Amino acid sequence: MFKLLKKISGRKNKGKSIQSNNTLDKQKNKKDQSISQNIDDNIDFIKDIYQFPNNRDVKFREFKVGGSNERAAIIFISSITDVRTIEDSAISPLLENKEPDLGIKRVISTQNVNLFSNMKDVVNNINTGNAVIFIENDSNAYIFECANFQGRSVERAENEVLIKGSKEALTEKVVVNLSLIRKRIKNEALMAESVTISERSQNEVYILYVRNLADDKLVDDIKNRLKNLDVDSIQNLALLEQYIEERRMSLFPSVLYSERPDRATAFLEDGHVVLLMDNSPDALILPATFWSFFHTPEDHYLRFVFGNFARIIRMVAMFITIFISAIYVAVTSFHSEMIPADLLLAIAGSREKVPFPVFFEIILMEAAFELIREAGLRVPNPMGPTIGIVGALILGQAAVEANIISPIVIIVVALSGLTSFTISDISLQFALRIIRFLFILSAGLFGIYGMTALFVMGLFYLVSLKSFGVPYLAPMSPHFVSSGDTIFRRVITNENFRPGYLKPDDLKKKGDGATK
Amino acid sequence: MKQTEGKIGIREFMAIIMLSVGTKLTDDTPMILFGTAKNSAWISMVLIALLTIVPIFFLFKVFSVHKGKDLHEVNIHLFGKVLGNILSFGMLLFGFAALVLDSATYVDIISTMYFTKTPNIAIYIVLLIVCGYGAKKGIEQIGSTAWLTLFYLKVTLFIALAVAFTKGNLKFLFPLLGPGSWEIVKTAGSKMSILADFYFIGIIAPMVKSVKDFKKGTLLSFIIVGCEITISLIIYVALFDFTSIEVISYPFHEVILYISFGFINNVESVFLPFWLVAAFIRFSFYMYLVLVLFGGIFKINKHQYLIPVLVTLVIFLGIAPKSATYTLPYLRELLLTTLSPFFFALPIVMWLIAKVRGDFKHEASAEKT
Repeated sequence: MFKLLKKISGRKNKGKSIQSNNTLDKQKNKKDQSISQNIDDNIDFIKDIYQFPNNRDVKFREFKVGGSNERAAIIFISSITDVRTIEDSAISPLLENKEPDLGIKRVISTQNVNLFSNMKDVVNNINTGNAVIFIENDSNAYIFECANFQGRSVERAENEVLIKGSKEALTEKVVVNLSLIRKRIKNEALMAESVTISERSQNEVYILYVRNLADDKLVDDIKNRLKNLDVDSIQNLALLEQYIEERRMSLFPSVLYSERPDRATAFLEDGHVVLLMDNSPDALILPATFWSFFHTPEDHYLRFVFGNFARIIRMVAMFITIFISAIYVAVTSFHSEMIPADLLLAIAGSREKVPFPVFFEIILMEAAFELIREAGLRVPNPMGPTIGIVGALILGQAAVEANIISPIVIIVVALSGLTSFTISDISLQFALRIIRFLFILSAGLFGIYGMTALFVMGLFYLVSLKSFGVPYLAPMSPHFVSSGDTIFRRVITNENFRPGYLKPDDLKKKGDGATK
Repeated sequence: MKQTEGKIGIREFMAIIMLSVGTKLTDDTPMILFGTAKNSAWISMVLIALLTIVPIFFLFKVFSVHKGKDLHEVNIHLFGKVLGNILSFGMLLFGFAALVLDSATYVDIISTMYFTKTPNIAIYIVLLIVCGYGAKKGIEQIGSTAWLTLFYLKVTLFIALAVAFTKGNLKFLFPLLGPGSWEIVKTAGSKMSILADFYFIGIIAPMVKSVKDFKKGTLLSFIIVGCEITISLIIYVALFDFTSIEVISYPFHEVILYISFGFINNVESVFLPFWLVAAFIRFSFYMYLVLVLFGGIFKINKHQYLIPVLVTLVIFLGIAPKSATYTLPYLRELLLTTLSPFFFALPIVMWLIAKVRGDFKHEASAEKT
């Protein structure tokens, strides 16, 4: 039936193929021509391309070069350039020049001046914030870097908060991010290659890796995936992540997303690859294992015992957030004999007036919690307290007093909600929230048997996942040489190896006598 | 970028064996031994373990000259195309029968001990869907899952047995020879195929990273599993005494019903999930073995497409016997008794043929050059 419907609808779609006007090709063809000797032609061409003067921030400045008295024009987009640099290093030296035979290159005092002979390159450079100089009777354009995009400065990390350790967060400017990372790895082997990934918006991605640590195959694989993208625009890394990941429908994330430069650096030093991009206050770290989502950098900044204590808490919290509601459903409806008699009576007493089955009660409250969470996230700041009142008073207390929910359910759901916040990675947090509902459902159907079945299936699925060729639960299983940083971490002097699953060029991190 | 090439390491390999053979102490296998060997079942078990060393030894010999071949390919190589295929098909039948009977037993355990109101077929369907999914994922995933859970499963098992041990009375073990030494030996001889899994793991021999790992893993897990089952048999007798142990179908589950911790009186639902995980992994593995063997005999490369058929078949065959608690042990006993002589003799025959054909000489000369 459905197949038939699909067939019919499919045929309809085919007959009515989508009419699309490829304006991108027209645009490309238009600017693909060489620069003429005649300066007026060039200026008119650029004016036509930018629709001057409708486009308000494109600036043309025509003048005569001092000394040789040739006509010249300087073109730039004022909103994305540093106008001061243009004035000081190009316009005034050119105007004040006395020597007639001195080349343009020797007059302009910026860090580099490039020559281009094609309009396409000229336009691309103007778009990226550089300035172009045309000279009379010269079929080359002189381009120097003076880009200055606006953005915020380095601020504190807000989503991955630490008590101990660096407070800097990455920003929307890729140059700043690069600088934050280079500040931490002062080594020429740190590569920052760039790839343009989109056609229309010309978004650029920086691929960072340490040349003599990261596996060449891994780097090539990632580069290929980036080069093979054929899209108009990818604004930021969060979108890019969805383009390059392997299983787009999977519950589990396979690329780590972090706003902390120290975290990105730590991964770089282990042989991972990091992607940076303009407009993204974060870094994409790949490949990622399950453990990297579970960890926080603070686990390592804290001393051995404290760090592992935090890990235990987080592990327990993870289990509570997935299982507690489901266990409550399973135990009260299938295995009530395992609850001590007094507690059983208490639960029964509190449920006496509640008209719903436990399963429905839990689902209702969990859904309410998810609503409060989502609403709390989107609510404008001035209205924030409303959520608190609505959430705590109406959905909590009033629901109990109205005998819709039993008080124990509130405790259970509050616990499962609270514990979900111990996982700092947002992707994993989402995964756990959804998995929680699956477990509640399976517990409602088959009690502990259903939960175990789902758990084992989940494990089968988890161990079959791969992130860029790396098994998701490595190095725990399958086993690899590594520092054993999984559920627990080792004493820092014993963390001697880079993770073997990355096939790093240099497996050992420390010399044998490093700490003696 | 291929980083794992469809092979499992020694950890995963051992974990699979320890879970799939080790869980036997939690189903009705002990009852089969107790039936004839009474309170001396553990001596029978020791004998079985000792006897099993022989086929394992010869199997190792054969596999060390046929590296990279699985059991079916070795069969074909040694017995020729016709006889080898017949032999493998016989193995397939035994394996399939074991899968059906064991899974039916587990469903019976779950439904009689824990979920008395849930219909058997629902339990069966869930069990086999999970196992079919695991089998579809492949040996690497089964191995990894087994390894990830092994520690927790064994710890809980240990706790349950340790608590039971403190409540038991070791005097129940005496008289040591129970029904007489002849009965004990007879039981050992006829039920030695309890450990026949060690023959069937030959099917995944080429999937273990190296022959050395295969041998080491098999031996180590053999020793551990042997001790485990023997000790648990002793504990069962110490806890229940032999007259009542004969009428108990599933001693492990009676044990966890029996014990309690502090203020929690009924802990069986705490142990249940751990035992279930082991059961799921065990049947995933069995199903995988059957699939690989079937695929090998009938030359089907993409054997994962057989899973739905296999799952349906097992469910219908497994759900068929009426009054499962009584029929299944009888059938299982029949299967074990039939399989035992084959299990003992086949590896020896394989070794002899390999010897006659001169495979060992080839190997030696190949190693020299």
